[in-house]
Amino acid sequence: MEILVCVKQVPDDSVEITLDKSTGMPALDKVAVITNAFDGYALEMATRFKEAHGGNITVVSVGPEKARDTLRNCCSVGANAAYLVNDAACENSDTYGTAYALSKAVAKIEAEKGVKFDIIFCGKETTDYTSSQVGPMLAEIMDIPQVTNIIALDPAEGGLSVKQETEEGYNMVDVATPCVVTVTKPSYDPRYPTMKSKMAARKVQIPDITAADMGADASLMGEAGAKCKVVKVFEPAKKEAGVKIKEETVEETVAKAVAMMSDAKVF
Amino acid sequence: MAYAIPEENYDLLETVREFAQKEIKEQCKEYDVSGEFPKEIYDAAIEMGLHTLEIPEEYGGMGLDKVTVAALIEQIGIADAGFGTTFAATGLAYKAVLAAGNEEQKQRCADILTETGFAAFCLTEPMAGSDAANSKTTAVKDGDEYILNGRKCFITNAGVAGFYVVTAMTDKTKGTKGMSAFIVEDGTPGLSVGNHENKMGIRCSTTADVVFEDCRIPASNLIGEEGQGYKIAMITLDMARPYMGCVAVGIAQRAIDEAIAYMKERVQFGKPIAANQGLQFKLADMQIKCETARQMVAHAVSLQETDKKYSMESSIAKAYAGDVAMECASEAIQIFGGYGFSREYPVEKLLRDAKIFQIFEGTNEIQKIVIANNLLR
Repeated sequence: MEILVCVKQVPDDSVEITLDKSTGMPALDKVAVITNAFDGYALEMATRFKEAHGGNITVVSVGPEKARDTLRNCCSVGANAAYLVNDAACENSDTYGTAYALSKAVAKIEAEKGVKFDIIFCGKETTDYTSSQVGPMLAEIMDIPQVTNIIALDPAEGGLSVKQETEEGYNMVDVATPCVVTVTKPSYDPRYPTMKSKMAARKVQIPDITAADMGADASLMGEAGAKCKVVKVFEPAKKEAGVKIKEETVEETVAKAVAMMSDAKVF
Repeated sequence: MAYAIPEENYDLLETVREFAQKEIKEQCKEYDVSGEFPKEIYDAAIEMGLHTLEIPEEYGGMGLDKVTVAALIEQIGIADAGFGTTFAATGLAYKAVLAAGNEEQKQRCADILTETGFAAFCLTEPMAGSDAANSKTTAVKDGDEYILNGRKCFITNAGVAGFYVVTAMTDKTKGTKGMSAFIVEDGTPGLSVGNHENKMGIRCSTTADVVFEDCRIPASNLIGEEGQGYKIAMITLDMARPYMGCVAVGIAQRAIDEAIAYMKERVQFGKPIAANQGLQFKLADMQIKCETARQMVAHAVSLQETDKKYSMESSIAKAYAGDVAMECASEAIQIFGGYGFSREYPVEKLLRDAKIFQIFEGTNEIQKIVIANNLLR
């Protein structure tokens, strides 16, 4: 099967990020960039699928020049080819603009490689803006089926059998290909690159795709085309230090906790 | 603050650093207590190819420059010195084959190493430690075979190695010139492994006696020629010593990292202890030593890389890095105060891990003999 994995380079989410007071936007200058964690799961799932059933994996990212490093990393852990949608027109796109750019990139890459993608993997969300919208929007724009929040997939008659995580458990969904799947955390972690795969990935050519190359309407992307405007960015409220309640017995502890909540008019 | 490695290799350094920090550092604490061999973690490291760093490209390796290899091994050493020792000891055994083996042996051992992950160098015996020439193990030629008998001790990777490089006397009357070196593959009848040593430190590495009882090996497993074994062993040790030095540098660096984190966090007299100039000086001294040891390691391997004389520099790098590891570990404990003495905190392990670096692959006293011999030659 021909597989496409959409990836995004995001700020390292393991460090605390603060707002730049002068711009009101997150201060990201000194924050390392990494592959979005859910995209990493998506690539690992795609790679395991490829190893079990054959196929090719292409990765694509809409992003700046330095996103090339992320694509190269992807090539060291399973991807066979990579493309970077690298155009100023795409800067500051909202989720729709990104999904639109990806849909155009899909057509461009398919034409260039002479293939049709059977499965398009996306992470269920990015760890920076966590909107969970790009994958579903991409499927809608391309007018193909989608299954969100998947944790496993296998080939099935006419398409795929997909395990979708829900709040209660999971659904088994049969879906026709081509389709978009968005991936949440499966039971495994992404593999580490090997020293050899890392060195081999250095030699992979990662072509740029511009808006003009893929025939995209620049007015639908970037800040100008954004359907969503960011009005203000807030830092999450800092949690206040809690109160430890430890009485002689469990009963007394619970009674005191209830009394405190009652006093605070929690209920 | 680092080895000057080719720019393109920083991605390898980052990959190994991430693996070591996430998969080795915390996990090895448990194995340090139990003394068990963390096989699953080694399997993951082998999957990444960390056992093949020193195999030349023509034998299926990656063709990395030696300074990069040292920098990568240091990252493993920062996470756990026992883990680093395992890979450095594997490199030690393979270096003997690289130094004096024929093409077929170099390829065969590279293949075994790639497949099994480990190799072991067997020189030391119960009565032949620093006096390596006092070897009692014998190899007697019988047709197209050699028959090995004897006991080697303190052998890193005994029991997990895919092949052993073994020195044995082929002619006891000739002293060091009667010693020869052989490749013995794992599974050879007559080769057995004794009990695992219950060590003070580097407890994530495995160490045991290796015993040969009428162990028959093909005559083609002789490395070099009969009588060259002692010379091969000495050349091999010269080549390998800086790599033990870089594991020791890893211990020193870890001591600094832990000390910095603790100094910023620990509050006494109303302020973090990092505000005390007395401790800042201590930290700066640790850094001076660690960085000079690191650069001595880099210098020694660079000399090797460029085919210059490196015997003395290898000994300096190893002896100095071993001392620095001990000093930095001890100072880190001092900075941690009472907590540093507790096994709940990470620094006491560093001191236990560091001690062996002044002992194995030639004690520091032997290194000084090598250095003096080079000076007075």
